[in-house]
Amino acid sequence: MVKTLQFQRVLMLVLLLVAAFVGLGYRLVDLQVLRHEQLLVKAQENTQRTLLVSPRRGDILDARGNLLATSIFVKTVCADPSLIGDRHAEMARVLAPLLKVGESRLTERLKLRTIRLDAGGEPVFDKHVVLKHKVKVEEWKQIQQILTSQTFGLATGKLTGAEKYFLGNLQQKAIFTEEDQLRLYPNQALAAHVLGYLDKTGHGVDGIEKTLDAELDGARGWRQMENDKRGRELVALRQQDVEARDGLNVVLTIDSVLQHIVESELVAAMEKHTPISISAIVVRPRTGEILAMATLPTFDPNNLGDGDKEAKARRNRVISDFAEPGSTFKIVVVSGALNEHIVKLTDSFDCERGRFEFAGKVLHDHESYGVLSVENIITKSSNIGAAKIGIKLGEPQLYRYICDFGFGVRTGIPLGGEIGGWVHDLTNWTKLSISRIPMGHEVTVTPLQMAMAMCAIANNGWLMRPMLVDRLEDSDHQIAVKYSPQRVRQVISEATARQMVTALKTVVSPDGTAAKAALEHYTVAGKTGTAQKIVNGAYSNEKYFSSFIGFFPADDPELCISVVMDEPKHGYYGGQAAAPVFKQIAERAAGYLNIRPDSLEETPLSETIAGGSPSLFGKTVAVPSP
Amino acid sequence: MARNRKYQSAAIRFGPALKAILLCLFIGGSGIGYVWQKNQIDELGKQIKKREVRLSDLQRQNKSGRDKLAELGSPKWLDYQVRELRLGLGLPQQSQIRTLIEPPAAPESTNATERLYAERQAR
Repeated sequence: MVKTLQFQRVLMLVLLLVAAFVGLGYRLVDLQVLRHEQLLVKAQENTQRTLLVSPRRGDILDARGNLLATSIFVKTVCADPSLIGDRHAEMARVLAPLLKVGESRLTERLKLRTIRLDAGGEPVFDKHVVLKHKVKVEEWKQIQQILTSQTFGLATGKLTGAEKYFLGNLQQKAIFTEEDQLRLYPNQALAAHVLGYLDKTGHGVDGIEKTLDAELDGARGWRQMENDKRGRELVALRQQDVEARDGLNVVLTIDSVLQHIVESELVAAMEKHTPISISAIVVRPRTGEILAMATLPTFDPNNLGDGDKEAKARRNRVISDFAEPGSTFKIVVVSGALNEHIVKLTDSFDCERGRFEFAGKVLHDHESYGVLSVENIITKSSNIGAAKIGIKLGEPQLYRYICDFGFGVRTGIPLGGEIGGWVHDLTNWTKLSISRIPMGHEVTVTPLQMAMAMCAIANNGWLMRPMLVDRLEDSDHQIAVKYSPQRVRQVISEATARQMVTALKTVVSPDGTAAKAALEHYTVAGKTGTAQKIVNGAYSNEKYFSSFIGFFPADDPELCISVVMDEPKHGYYGGQAAAPVFKQIAERAAGYLNIRPDSLEETPLSETIAGGSPSLFGKTVAVPSP
Repeated sequence: MARNRKYQSAAIRFGPALKAILLCLFIGGSGIGYVWQKNQIDELGKQIKKREVRLSDLQRQNKSGRDKLAELGSPKWLDYQVRELRLGLGLPQQSQIRTLIEPPAAPESTNATERLYAERQAR
């Protein structure tokens, strides 16, 4: 009997154990086999993470390696309202002064919102609310420290387990960040129109930022990793670690010191003549390198305004505004006529005492001239003289030279928003056109096109493509892409170019239209332009575009400088308004670049340093002003 | 039994005991080694992470320093400082610059400077 009872007990125990093991076994099979895939995904979701590593956007540097635009890593501060619960007001009170955002606005944003219902009709809450963009890393660290020390109105002494968990989430998880970048322009508005700016997503909207967006952007990296239950990465279990490739640095041909010289002179001219806008370009004629390009009004790419005025200031007028060039365009017709050997510099034209009737319309000069040589037509900027040269050259030839000088098409500068100007097709020319186009009417050009045409004359007739980017390099300064100067075509012969230089030198003589552009130590060749603006379909006698484009030293040009003013006051002629600005820029630029003077009495070495230092050979030395 | 007694089967058999001890040591050692190795991997992982954070901080500081330097070296800032501190600095005017003309090579010259110049020309 006892044995039977014992046996039954043992049997029961065995059965229980077997049942328990069968249950455990089933559970194991269920977890490891039947629901393996589903649970594996869930487990991986809990522990594994793929971190996308953003590349740093490349810098933009000037020709001497000075920083013009750079990026720093910052944070976008976000919140998960589902972890904040009813403490949104307390959280907003803490965050408002730290993020410098209004408390009431923050309170609203931190409230839990349903964004949709899921398949089962359950609400899905918004767990990702952006509170502030572009927060510096140091600021975020401060915010983290302050958050962990806050109690958010909870009595810390008697918290239940759930409340402690809630507080922990409030302090550490409810507010989190995402990686972001902030674009900085250390020189504020310097070369703003060349550099451009970025939109909120970090992509270029204008300028070099837009043109070379892909090169500056770099390639994203990623890291597959596992976290422990506290969210810390287990480095040993890192699976893939692909580093981001930072964007390439863009080295421009712009020289920031020269750019500053140009911009400061434009500011001075803006104050003096109060034009609507003023632009200037400095180009190296031999290569087409643009050393400075500026337009006022300008903007600070660090702080873009939203208004209409700010939007207008962001327009790069050097490439996106076109206007009738006025007398600067006379270089085209005279160059063409000289190149075709139709005229010589010494040939004379009767300038009709300032009144020339052609095709039923009367053409005027600003002064009454009699017979002028071709050279004097340039010197005095005679409209009638230029018209007569144009008539002699003929329509097809004039049209060809206009096209060859690059008018009517974009120059190809690597900046967005460039326009090609407006040159009527030959078939659309009227009878009057041949007398108007030579003096810069009936065509529209951009200031850059006009400057490049003048550079062609300075460069022995070779038209160059404007060059703004010198090279692309990586963060170790290894060159990835090197750009070279590009010749477009030879528009006029070298001999013709030399004749043109001879004629253009006279413009800055006391008899010329731009005596105020003359430099003390350099010979200058250039041309003024004063174009009437068209108001309500008619030429205005009050509103003008004034310009001066010149280069120096005239016989071996180092720099070509173009200055254009839109509606200057207190003197509207190019020689009155734009030429002095040219002079100021040229003098400072020559000093900075140490350009050797060509009209300076040089002191023989033997007289200057009898037995002096050999280190002075071939150099210039500064001496105190008298 | 007699046979056992004859061969003293009750005596301690060191061979198997040693084998057992060695086996235990091996298993125990392997276990401890495995744990130690895992611990080391974890420790190194933490160190790597710490250094990565440090490197990132240093890179950020370095970048920040370079940016500050660029800002301080910008022509606009320098211009402002020159004006603010009334330093009177500026580029020399052309009238302040005297350009020296290099004389033609003079092989017979006794002047040391000119001789040096002639040598340089010859090179």
